[in-house]
Amino acid sequence: MPSRRLFLQHSGILLAGALLTGKSANVRAERLAKHFAADDFITLYAQLIDQRTVINSDKLNLILPKIAEDGAVVPVSIASELEGIEKLYLFADKNPTPLLAEFELTPLIAPQLTARIKLAESCTVILLAEYKGALLRTSRWVNVMRGGCGTG
Amino acid sequence: MANSIKIRSQRRDGYTEVKLLITHPMENGRNRDANGDLIPAHFIEQLQVKLNDQLILTTNMAGSIAKNPFFTFRLKAGNSGDRLSAEWTDNKQNKDHAEHALD
Repeated sequence: MPSRRLFLQHSGILLAGALLTGKSANVRAERLAKHFAADDFITLYAQLIDQRTVINSDKLNLILPKIAEDGAVVPVSIASELEGIEKLYLFADKNPTPLLAEFELTPLIAPQLTARIKLAESCTVILLAEYKGALLRTSRWVNVMRGGCGTG
Repeated sequence: MANSIKIRSQRRDGYTEVKLLITHPMENGRNRDANGDLIPAHFIEQLQVKLNDQLILTTNMAGSIAKNPFFTFRLKAGNSGDRLSAEWTDNKQNKDHAEHALD
């Protein structure tokens, strides 16, 4: 009864697949909630890197004002000529919520993005890129004139 | 929460520049109101952008993104009439959605 066996095999695979996707969605939501709730940059950063090698790269461009008058609205630009960046993480090491944003790119998006972030105080803004199994990093120091209470 | 999203696009040489402006307080839960009471956290957690129903960009964020989030990004492709849609979900499970046709 090959067809029956095949059917059973396939339904098993389908069931496993369904379980996996359901589970991964939950795991993902939990992971995100944990990362964005983290308030200590060093712990969070170590967790995200997970003992992978980080390479400082001049192929990533992080454009920020050297002096930000108002920490509540700081424009940031990310630019890179690299093809195949899968994910970008943006951090501010002194913010109460150090993980600013996580961008999941697809091949239809060029790594040329801008956003507006909050910076609680003068700090280093760090950009990490997941690129072909490696982690690339670049960072910029920003002087924040008025951080304001509760920004970040 | 109707019309909290504005989408603009501009076709350039070989790519399309997309601008997204969302009206949202992005409260991180650490600010106080005039009476000194904490304003509860209220921020967008996820923004998903689709091109003709295909997911092209996911942005996860929290209270460290400025009030009324503004994003720009670059689409490598993009033909006239392509449908670009954006949807956000916040920590109170509010959602909004907008569509835009590339010119």
